Amino acid sequence: MLKKAVVLLSSLLVTGSLSAHTLWVMPSHYVLSKPNSWIAVDASAGNMTFVADKGIALTALKMYQPDGSAKVITDVYQGKRKSMADVQLGGDGTYRLELANPVRFFTSYELAGEKKRLMANKAERSAQLPKGATNVETVQMRSRNFAYITVNAPTNTVLKLQGEGLELSSKNHPADAVANEEQQFVFNLNGKPQAGVKGILSFDGELYRNEAGRIEFETNSEGRFSFTPEQAGRYLIEASYSADMATDVADKVRESITYSFEVALP
Amino acid sequence: MRLVKTSLLGCVIALLWANSINAAATEISLQLPQIETSQYHRPYVAVWVEDAQQQPVKLIALWVQKPDWLKDLRRFWRKIGRSDTALVDAVSSATQKSGSYTLQWDGKDDQGRELTAGTYTLLVEAAREQGGRSLVKHEFKWPATGAFIEIAAEGELGNISARLR
Repeated sequence: MLKKAVVLLSSLLVTGSLSAHTLWVMPSHYVLSKPNSWIAVDASAGNMTFVADKGIALTALKMYQPDGSAKVITDVYQGKRKSMADVQLGGDGTYRLELANPVRFFTSYELAGEKKRLMANKAERSAQLPKGATNVETVQMRSRNFAYITVNAPTNTVLKLQGEGLELSSKNHPADAVANEEQQFVFNLNGKPQAGVKGILSFDGELYRNEAGRIEFETNSEGRFSFTPEQAGRYLIEASYSADMATDVADKVRESITYSFEVALP
Repeated sequence: MRLVKTSLLGCVIALLWANSINAAATEISLQLPQIETSQYHRPYVAVWVEDAQQQPVKLIALWVQKPDWLKDLRRFWRKIGRSDTALVDAVSSATQKSGSYTLQWDGKDDQGRELTAGTYTLLVEAAREQGGRSLVKHEFKWPATGAFIEIAAEGELGNISARLR
């Protein structure tokens, strides 16, 4: 039983589209008109967008303030189906809610025809690999799950690219995403627009319609993906990028993000 | 005593003068419909003008109560409310019950300048707690002496008409 739980947990950590479950963080409010408001955050991993299925650990949940500083969110509860956090915001500006897993390394190998895995980077792995291990490969992984919340006038500090890993920038400020207007996103890897990032766009309410209405996309040569939402509501973008990237610590890199956002009424 | 009389006279003249200006102003008549429901709250209402680039130029009226719910006037919030607190404070007044209202607009923008010639849009948005949200709009040319705008009732808003001067 315990073993099963551990296996499940690690598959959730690996996340992205590797596992069937998609993780998201969803604030109760994306837009607020009063400073010092409280918001609730729902976080879960599921097959249907925003249909809670599995609660996840929120120990790494942070709220980046409009000035760019980070506050750890401690008022959290991990439930079976979803996890929740209570957060009080401060003054005007745009906040970034983020649940990020730090960079991790997985080394996979085969031993006597059986696939195995251990948590070690390329420099550490030789000490841990059993004799006779073949097809050894180390993947560097990171995932970020985030959303933006704006109190009164929007600001840009928390939207700035950090230049590390897979990041998203958009033509419009998140607080200006409006139905029937084109939304343009650029996916950046280590600060530069990246072609070939694969993703899925979905929106709330899949349980109550036959056609899920998902859009699978791949970024173009400018790292861009654009779409025009036909209706207001909550949307989710999940995207990942994998590539051979030999370094001292890994053979491959895999970066993934999920971004929940609101499309407002015109 | 004489001083008091003089200043009173001054007030009367000022009032008359203000009235004569109003006579030349654009009048917007706006109806808030009677809505039969067990939980009726007066709607939040915003009336404003945007230019051809959809930028707000004049906030004519804002009937609101608590800041928490200003965001529910979605377009108003995005275009004006979230970034111009001073204007919101200056223009806002109490929410109104159902009935007919007349608003006046002197044809000037928020900075008190005459609108430049061009195409504009009159927008009216209403959002009611435990009710719906309506946004109606009508394009007009400026200057448009005497032009008449009519917007049919929709949801939270009754008939709207305006004589542009």
